Amino acid sequence: MSSSRKGATLVAEDGVEKAVLGFARQALKKGAFDAVLIPCRVPAGDSFAYHLVGNEAALEGASPLPPIMPVQGARVISSITRRGKGRRKIAAIVRPCEARAAIELAKLGQVNLENITIITMDCPGVMPLSDYFEDAGKGDKVFDDAARKWNTEPMRPVCKICDNLSSTGGEDLHIAKMGTKSGNILLIPRSTKGEDALSKTGLSIEEDVTDWEASVNKLTEQRKQKRGQSNDALRSDIEGIERLTQAFSACINCHNCMRVCPICYCRQCHFDSDKMKFSFEDYLARAEARGGLKIPTDTLLFHIGRMLHMSLSCVSCGMCEDACPTAIPVAQIFTLVGDRNREAFDYMPGRSVDEPLPLTTFEREEFEEVEQSHAEVLAKQES
Amino acid sequence: MTKVLTIDKSTPDGLKELLRFLLDNGKVKGVLTLRRTGEDGAVSYSLITDSAGVEAAVPLFPLMPVNLAKQLSLLTLQEAATEPIAVVLRPCELRAFIELVKRTQANVENILFISSTCPGVYPLKMAAEGDIEQHLPQYWKAVAQAQLVPDVRLACQACEYFVPYTADITVSLLGSMRVDRETTLFLNNERAELIVNGMSGKLSEEEADGAIIEQIRTKRKAEKDKLSDEVELNNLGIAELTETFSRCIGCRNCSKVCPACYCHMCFFETEAAGHPPLFYETQLDKTGCVNMLSDTTFYHLVRLFHVGASCTGCGQCGDVCPANIPLWAISLKVGGAVQKAFDYVPGKSIEEGLPITTFAPEEFAGVV
Repeated sequence: MSSSRKGATLVAEDGVEKAVLGFARQALKKGAFDAVLIPCRVPAGDSFAYHLVGNEAALEGASPLPPIMPVQGARVISSITRRGKGRRKIAAIVRPCEARAAIELAKLGQVNLENITIITMDCPGVMPLSDYFEDAGKGDKVFDDAARKWNTEPMRPVCKICDNLSSTGGEDLHIAKMGTKSGNILLIPRSTKGEDALSKTGLSIEEDVTDWEASVNKLTEQRKQKRGQSNDALRSDIEGIERLTQAFSACINCHNCMRVCPICYCRQCHFDSDKMKFSFEDYLARAEARGGLKIPTDTLLFHIGRMLHMSLSCVSCGMCEDACPTAIPVAQIFTLVGDRNREAFDYMPGRSVDEPLPLTTFEREEFEEVEQSHAEVLAKQES
Repeated sequence: MTKVLTIDKSTPDGLKELLRFLLDNGKVKGVLTLRRTGEDGAVSYSLITDSAGVEAAVPLFPLMPVNLAKQLSLLTLQEAATEPIAVVLRPCELRAFIELVKRTQANVENILFISSTCPGVYPLKMAAEGDIEQHLPQYWKAVAQAQLVPDVRLACQACEYFVPYTADITVSLLGSMRVDRETTLFLNNERAELIVNGMSGKLSEEEADGAIIEQIRTKRKAEKDKLSDEVELNNLGIAELTETFSRCIGCRNCSKVCPACYCHMCFFETEAAGHPPLFYETQLDKTGCVNMLSDTTFYHLVRLFHVGASCTGCGQCGDVCPANIPLWAISLKVGGAVQKAFDYVPGKSIEEGLPITTFAPEEFAGVV
């Protein structure tokens, strides 16, 4: 998975966050970047927002690894670069799932990565927004404690089963913490952009990364198992149209899952458009056909439609679930379905910007088993 | 004096009987009311056309999954109801619907409105946690005794408009001592009297108990003042507003569930609200640090500006906010101030023009 087997050592005696900020400061000073995109604590102190920081002093209030993800970073990168690459070199310090979503958005033409250097970190997960907002002060402590021990207990349900918590290859530079010598972190370049950033900052790339890789592989294996178990357990709850309907029965059709999703980029969703507004007679006819019609209508259709559109690119960040007012386990359901779909296409979202989206490629010989069964169904109908 | 129909059944059952009667006798083609739709007890609105389907209805279940005004607007946006339907909804939903009619987003024709003196609804979060059932005995006890119901939405605790204005039929709930044995339906107009004609029950003429209503209103007002103090709404200057909204994640869900926010595409989601890279570069040069969630306070102020006059205080915005911002309180405060200045109660009357569509040469001399 690595393009480089070596990294640059950074002393992190005062913690990872301080060390990362030190690196960012130095990189700005040396002109490796013109600005850093990084989460900063908001004035009220109880949340975080991505800021584009151009001067070293303003980095003071930044938190590279905040306890929550109020906005998915890929959306922020998209809002800066959707209309073009810009003239400034920006380092985006984001979580691995945010980096992967940004790479997916680049493939979808919603992000321009030319002047963006993506920097990721070994990720302990993030807490659900509602848990954190109940008491931010307490949340900070709970998160710090859990993050130090790689304990996912207080984190988002999908963070607990995340098997892409470290470098996934698509980023330019990865900050490694796991398995490194005590008090140190490693900056591992994953692209020439990453190498350039390190050399401009004056860091030499000579530290061996084997220990880190071993630690990551070990934890990833554990998580893969957990993910499989979690998916299996959920499958029995949602498989089949009746159970799926049940799983989404509390949906109020607010579409907030879609609005916070980094992959759902449509400016106007089909389900919010006039196409989904019908005449009174239509609604009444649908109600009469079954004796009753749930209002709002078409909620399950919306979720299935969304699944069809974005599940191949879904990075299981968990934003959807956090933003759902009725606590539907949206992210867990999408993770289960997405895993299956991605396996079929041997696709991993965000692994590489050069790996094409499955739906943009076509092979004559693929998925014969699907064609076959469809042909059989047709033959049966005709006979 | 108002005609009153009394049915010898608990109020939820009596109301269901009315709905069945309306369907069975062809008085309406459908009833739109809350119904249990999930095996797990999930409750949602449903357009029921078969009277057998009324069995699963829970018309007075204390939950507002969606503000029905918004859904009813969708149903009647393209054309008025071509067949008569009956709708059971909360007073704030009814008022919001009337506002949408004034804004030409809905059509009032062919709809029989059944509302109630409203005790309030529980937060969506409570439904998501499956805790409403266990609250129900306490709820109905408080209703019968005309007490404030604990744990309902804060917006409901602070609501003074719990008596519907334009309902055809008002179900008496608050202070109805016999709510577990009896159904009292106020038939507010001739149409209501006609439509229940033939239904078994006792007809009489009564006046709603003004003293009880006043007593509840006084309690709710006190609660509103108390809650205002708690969320420190008395000094909402720009600094406090910025701080309050700094937790906003920009999801805009408050506008999506708001019955007064009817724009098909919000300005803040248009291409015009986005920026080219040059914008950020210029900001960066000027200040050295750009908040990428910068337009949140601006968004909320514009929203308040647009919907303040029509806000009926339903509390849906606050309930869906992933950041727990007390949006309902801010809307109530700002909306309340606008409504007071224009002497306007949203949804009180369908004839009364929206404040910004009316102009009086002599008004607001102090401002001009």
